[in-house]
Amino acid sequence: MDRAGLISVIKSKLPDFNPISAAQGFPDEFSIKVSPEAFKDTCLVLHKHLGSPVMMLFALDQRKETGNFVINAVFADFRESRWVIVSMDIRQENPCFETLAKSMHSALLFEREIWEMFGIEPKGSPDLRRLNLHDEVWPRGNYPLRKDFQKMAAGNTGEYNFARVEGEGVFEVPVGPVHAGIIGPGHFRFSVAGEPIINLEARLGFTHRGVEKLFENKSYDQAACLSECVCGDAVFSHSLAFARAIEKISCARIPLQADLLRGIFLELERMHNHVHDIGGIAIDVGFSYPHAYASIIKESLLQLNERLCASRYLKKVNLPGGVLTDMDDEKKELLRVSLKKMKHDFNALVKILYTSVSFMDRVDGTGVLRRKTAEDLGVTGLAGRASGIPEDLRKYFPGVYKEAKFKIAVEGSGDVLARLRIRISEFLESCRLIEEFSAMLVKDSRSKVDLELREGSALGYAEGWRGPVLYWVKTGPGGRLQRCKIVDPSFHNWQGLCFSVLGNIIPDFPLCNKSFDLSYSGNDL
Amino acid sequence: MTKTALTFLQIILFIAVSPFLSGLITKIKNNVRMRKGQSIWQPYFNLLKLFSKQEVVSGTASWIFRAAPFIALASCLAASALIPVFIFVSPLQRMGDLLALIFIFALGRFFMALAALDTGSSFGGMGASREMFISSLAEPGLCLAIFAISLQFGSTSILAFSASHAVSISSVLAAAALFLVTLAETSRIPVDNQETHLELTMVHEAMLLEYSGRSLALIELSSYIKQMILFFLIAQVVFPIGMPGAALAPISLWFLWYLARILIIAVVVALVEVSLAKMRLFRVADFLGFAFVLGIIAVVCAMLGV
Repeated sequence: MDRAGLISVIKSKLPDFNPISAAQGFPDEFSIKVSPEAFKDTCLVLHKHLGSPVMMLFALDQRKETGNFVINAVFADFRESRWVIVSMDIRQENPCFETLAKSMHSALLFEREIWEMFGIEPKGSPDLRRLNLHDEVWPRGNYPLRKDFQKMAAGNTGEYNFARVEGEGVFEVPVGPVHAGIIGPGHFRFSVAGEPIINLEARLGFTHRGVEKLFENKSYDQAACLSECVCGDAVFSHSLAFARAIEKISCARIPLQADLLRGIFLELERMHNHVHDIGGIAIDVGFSYPHAYASIIKESLLQLNERLCASRYLKKVNLPGGVLTDMDDEKKELLRVSLKKMKHDFNALVKILYTSVSFMDRVDGTGVLRRKTAEDLGVTGLAGRASGIPEDLRKYFPGVYKEAKFKIAVEGSGDVLARLRIRISEFLESCRLIEEFSAMLVKDSRSKVDLELREGSALGYAEGWRGPVLYWVKTGPGGRLQRCKIVDPSFHNWQGLCFSVLGNIIPDFPLCNKSFDLSYSGNDL
Repeated sequence: MTKTALTFLQIILFIAVSPFLSGLITKIKNNVRMRKGQSIWQPYFNLLKLFSKQEVVSGTASWIFRAAPFIALASCLAASALIPVFIFVSPLQRMGDLLALIFIFALGRFFMALAALDTGSSFGGMGASREMFISSLAEPGLCLAIFAISLQFGSTSILAFSASHAVSISSVLAAAALFLVTLAETSRIPVDNQETHLELTMVHEAMLLEYSGRSLALIELSSYIKQMILFFLIAQVVFPIGMPGAALAPISLWFLWYLARILIIAVVVALVEVSLAKMRLFRVADFLGFAFVLGIIAVVCAMLGV
């Protein structure tokens, strides 16, 4: 569908639709600017027509330049391999807009975030509780992402109201944020009748570091370092998404060599995380032998990373403009030999798991997330594919993946086993992809270009191991960052976890949780 | 007099040896998982550490919370005094039989569950309810296994039980039932997982989360002793051997044989633990139901004399 096509679709649903502007900013980005009155309806039409949840919904403070706040909503148009960005201006005198969340659930968390960070009220929203700035610590009336924000004093001003389930025999079980193991901090409030879970509410935000604020006024190379620290287990996908946004803004042509290397490292990151989670799922049901086995594979992958690029978690590999590490023949051979051995070990691991009755009994049918629920919540990435949503950025925005004949892994049942199966097939697919990419590498070819700094904004994205990592970046004069909005797949998928455990018993929660394995730091920002 | 001294010696030996069993099981498990693992003496180090640590007690806890560890340990020590290790005529022989053993364990467990509820923490409540759920299913299996053994000897007396006898179908079935129950009672996989850090999946550990320092050491010690007694019961049914006379030389030999049999059971438990995943909580009912059925068949076989 061409650009006029989308506009005419909206016009057919909204007869008096009249966008302020509509432009194909980049080949994979289509922006529509509308009036505040038309914003909600336009978003809903796109949501229905594209079948996409709102992938990003965020504000930016342009009061100094234009006297307005701007709100952007990003939808994915997978059929056309592009992103559709709807934006509107909001007058600073009356910072509010009509809520989208009532008709489109995936907008709810974004709206809560906009409200707490910018003080722009989503009118009529069913839920205005703060996400990251906890009332127990941060007083209301401070909006950190506004440009004129200085600092705020801590002070206890209230407490969080959890959704309550009442009735005979219903108990609340609060868990966390401090857990018995060494894991991230999150508070989980279970409402249970005996062992079965009636309701689960996750309260996150304990690792809120103000990441988006930290990005402001950074030069792009400083910001590239920062992007590697946003989420410690998805270093490469975050830095890649950021780098791609910067490259789009400066209209750089990235050499094929860099794209191939990026593909290799992105898949390496996926592999070590997937095998870690497979082991994690086993140990969470007390099955320790395969866990030990998986740990060995993971460690050898990390050591391989270190030998390829001197960083176990692939830091300082990526840079806006290309890749700093090159692959000589020796490294290619190392990669080939290691992958062969790992594939062999991995198949043995899978066999142990699939042939264990006690293990399969635990994972089969546990923590089912139905497709409809997943779609409504905007669940993305791995968890979405396990529930039957066939979405993978590597398929719809392929780049080098096209030549490598990437095959997407989709399951339908949405339970822990489905998420496990996705991980297993993606691990093997990653092995294959790396071999393809490494065969396509050209010796002594350039893998980096210099960037020309410009003003502008663009969306960068990468299919990380959890799902799509999205960076919307706006640069100002001198190429300094004015706003960087990050959406990690965890942001949507935490909700998916809360729904998947309903009806399961409490002791199965850690298993469901591990099968999603979501990030606290990527969510809390 | 010698008998009293030997009884005390026996109790002290139980205290001294029982942590070693847990250390051994952990070591075997780690080696199977291709790990070096902690020292085999680690349970002793842990106990020493805990005994020298300060205790933190919740402000809402009552005397039950403080008393429970002592009751748990006392019940396990009492049980260990009933078991004939050195002495074929225990001074405590009139104090109890095999059935008393079950109720002595139940006493300790009852107070642990009360103490877990006492602090009002959500994990304590969860742990207590799960522990009671599991033990209510484990006890019938344990009772039936003991009935089957008693039927063979015509007495529930522990001394009759430790007399020499031939291995029969009934005793093998009873031993199998005892083994399943022991896995549940010693909070091992597939019923519970001692190594987990996931507080939501814990059963026995969840009850202890509020304990620290000396009290925790007492509880740990009591579960080591309980484990050793249960292993002894299995060992005595599977590898039966008569009690020696009162002379000291055969007694020490018998003690070594006694230890060796228990070590065999420990190895089997360790191997079971690494080769299985933990069951879903409500599947435990099927698992212990199986132990119950084995117990019934064992009783029937004993009555038929096979």
